Amino acid sequence: MSEGDRQDPARRISSVLENSFAGTLALLPRVAEVLVELDALEPAQQRFVLYWTDVMAAAGEELAAQFLSHVPLALRDLDEAAAEAWVVKAMDVFDRRGPGFAIEVLNTVQVFATARAAQQSGCDFDQVAGLLRYLVCGLGGRGLQIVSEAIAYTDTEKIFLPPSLGLLEGRAANASLYKCLAAFLWAQNRYGTWRYQVLEAAMRTLDEVETWPIYQRLESVRLRACLARDLPGLHREMEAIAYGDEAARLAWQAFVKRVAVLEAPHATALDSLALVSSCRGQPLPPPLRFQGEMFPAKVREILSQRMSRERAALQKALNSLQRDLELQTPDDQASGAETPNRFTVGNANDKTPNTEHYELKYNDQQVPMGPELEALLNSILQDLGDIDEDYLNPHPMRDIYPAEQESKHGPGTEPEALPGVRVELYPEWDYTRQRFREDFCALTEQDVPFGNEDFVTRTREKYHGLSKSIQRVFEAILSEAQRQKKQPHGDELDLDALIEAHVDRLQGREMSDRLYTHFRKVGRSVAVMFMVDMSGSTKGWVNDAERESLVLLCEAVAMLGDQYAIYGFSGRTNKRCEIYRIKTFREPYDTEVKRRISGMAPKAYTRMGVAIRHLSKMLNTVQAKTKLLITLSDGKPEDYGSYRGRYGIEDTRHALLEARRSGIHPFCITIDKEAQSYLPHMYGPSSFTVVDEVQKLPYKVADIYRRLTT
Amino acid sequence: MNTPGNMPDRLIAEEPYYEPSGAEIEIFAAAYGNQLPILLKGPTGCGKTRFVHYMSWYLKRPLVTVACHDDLTAADLIGRYLVRGGETEWLDGPLTYAVRHGAICYLDEIVEARKDTSVVIHPLCDDRRILPVDKLGELLQVPKEFSLVVSYNPGYQSVLKDLKQSTRQRFVALEFAYPSAEMEQKIVVSESGVDADTAHKLIKFGGHTRNLKGSGLDEGASTRLLVNAAKLIASGIAPTLACDTAVGHALTDDAELLQAVHELASAVF
Repeated sequence: MSEGDRQDPARRISSVLENSFAGTLALLPRVAEVLVELDALEPAQQRFVLYWTDVMAAAGEELAAQFLSHVPLALRDLDEAAAEAWVVKAMDVFDRRGPGFAIEVLNTVQVFATARAAQQSGCDFDQVAGLLRYLVCGLGGRGLQIVSEAIAYTDTEKIFLPPSLGLLEGRAANASLYKCLAAFLWAQNRYGTWRYQVLEAAMRTLDEVETWPIYQRLESVRLRACLARDLPGLHREMEAIAYGDEAARLAWQAFVKRVAVLEAPHATALDSLALVSSCRGQPLPPPLRFQGEMFPAKVREILSQRMSRERAALQKALNSLQRDLELQTPDDQASGAETPNRFTVGNANDKTPNTEHYELKYNDQQVPMGPELEALLNSILQDLGDIDEDYLNPHPMRDIYPAEQESKHGPGTEPEALPGVRVELYPEWDYTRQRFREDFCALTEQDVPFGNEDFVTRTREKYHGLSKSIQRVFEAILSEAQRQKKQPHGDELDLDALIEAHVDRLQGREMSDRLYTHFRKVGRSVAVMFMVDMSGSTKGWVNDAERESLVLLCEAVAMLGDQYAIYGFSGRTNKRCEIYRIKTFREPYDTEVKRRISGMAPKAYTRMGVAIRHLSKMLNTVQAKTKLLITLSDGKPEDYGSYRGRYGIEDTRHALLEARRSGIHPFCITIDKEAQSYLPHMYGPSSFTVVDEVQKLPYKVADIYRRLTT
Repeated sequence: MNTPGNMPDRLIAEEPYYEPSGAEIEIFAAAYGNQLPILLKGPTGCGKTRFVHYMSWYLKRPLVTVACHDDLTAADLIGRYLVRGGETEWLDGPLTYAVRHGAICYLDEIVEARKDTSVVIHPLCDDRRILPVDKLGELLQVPKEFSLVVSYNPGYQSVLKDLKQSTRQRFVALEFAYPSAEMEQKIVVSESGVDADTAHKLIKFGGHTRNLKGSGLDEGASTRLLVNAAKLIASGIAPTLACDTAVGHALTDDAELLQAVHELASAVF
């Protein structure tokens, strides 16, 4: 085909094709029809056809022929950009998989058109996931994770949403549908669709085929009424997209009228369940667009696991609360026979049900709850609706710390330390005796074997952007110049000092010569000890994340000029506590340090107390105004033998108190999601941070460090 | 520098609006009666400053407020000489003024002040009850009407902004939290003039943002922010827009969080 052919729209396309692509046309089944259709196209479209026929013919006559037979349809259903995407896709498939599959693409132009329309107006999970996480968290109740899966449902700990939605016209509408789905599934959790008693009763009485769908519709009526009361704005938005068509709207209207009792503020899921039998045999309205599915078996599994876990946690929390309370009240009152010692829980605001504020009372006296206990209580109430007497019985101690029974075997049975290394002895706090066990722990310092320096280079490449932004932030801290007053030399006169000197002169006193102000960078005097968990449980992701965080941190901290050291800790029993040197205070951040960071590997257990004692001792030999002991860890203190549960926690707490008394600020960064239950006790309420995903650790650590020291 | 010269009468004439949430008024009054200094702990915007204003009115004592900053020195609190027409003239600092007049001196965000301020605070706060004014060579005996009140937000994690034990152990401490939902509603209504229903929705929205504390936001909406939003609504601004501007943008700059706060506001209204 010559350039002139393509440029001339006036010429009939059929004649051009007949002249230039006779071979191709010979392969076409309905040549005459196709040519008529092609002649009827707009000039621009004809140019498009000619151009691509030329390209296609170069790949194969058969391909070009298929293109010609489908292109009129394609140009009818698609705009030019979309049609081009269709052709390009066919050519792509041809390159990768051969002519057969490419022809398949050309044949199915309608499939392509639908998929493209959905893609254009659809919304992907990833685009809204972040927003939905915040939204669901903000709405309150038990923390729910947002996860992508093929079908939308909730298992009471996660909300599952499809990977993309294209049901509605336009991106915004589909994003709104995502929001409504998430909110509706949140409402199932919040307003008691999955309460334990309800679920058990429903699973006993309902069958999957006929009655679950009825129950699902009834619950939708009830939940929408709840949402209309509590979140009217959201409810309006949901109503706007609830129905597929007018018939569905009318069907729902009629259905709601029949079961209007469910719209009352006090209606519960049990009321929905009671209405199921009366709705049998009657026509059901179609599902609402944001209704999702229900999988009672999955919920039951999660629910029973959570209930036993939370029950134990609550009893443990109440137990320690009771101990504190009894310490506060004089003995004769606490053990009075007339008032049995018991906890009760009441709704703080009886007038409005479904509020989240409950009061915890002990012997009819309201007691303050920490945020963890309140969240726990709320989660249990969300599952049970009411709290069982049994739940509020503070458990006897021995059951909560089952591992403590092991301690009866005594410490002497534990294996000996390795010979030949300098051993330092440290005491350990035994809370059962309320005494130290003197010289109980034998600690050795060891070097970490060199690893491959490659790791540092790779980490720096991986987090290139991040380390740039960390650098900028840290530089900003440094450049915060401060005006120092009353300096002997400086940039400007200090007016206050000058007046003072003048006054002194007038009053016949000696004048000061410190009359200038001077801009100087803030003199930082910070020493940090990083204490890194190298226990066996850090194997894999955690260890990688720890090492990556250290690489990023070292560069940032070195830039600030803060003194810092890095040590790992692990061990097995009190006879073999081990500290691993990674970087001492005196060493610069050099190749050896880098190779040691790379060489950090998971070892044995987590005996934290002795490590804290040893490292604080070292930290206290350094001259600095502010001393920080930052622990990177993945869980509770735990060691082979007796060092478990309460024993380990109490020893660690004691070691931290000792450190604090000597002027060190301890801080803990952990990835243990359960940390809320023990870290406040060990570190104090605002001296720790839980990073919820291991992968985020490198991103967070530098930021936490900045927050801590500025 | 805080110049107390020509101070207007610092008595608070009209009763400031304050809703007590516990026994804080009685405790403050008792501490005042016993000449004990008072430490107010609590997050920003929960009513600490308003409480001090209220107590100043309640006890009929003038109030001297100093907002502490990291350049605030002991001399700024005590006072200094000035030169006027070749003559020297002494000017009392706010603390000295308060001591001389038997006022309540309120040091807001005490941890922000320089460490050397503790030199003047310590002798004031124990049983010595004296204020040494070195420059004048005076040792002021503190009258029994004087009271020192400091505030402090324990939520900051910076170790450099922690209150030293030697300082904090001289105070009677009152802890403040956000008021309960019912009381907060009452506060929003009487501060802004919106109707009870709007206030109820605002409180619910405030609760939602507080759920996000630690999961994106550093702090949830304080009572002060909710009152601000309510005032905008009372002046005819659409509720979601008022929440966006008075609360959302005040809490965060992150686009996704702003969107989430916006969605939470529009869900409630």
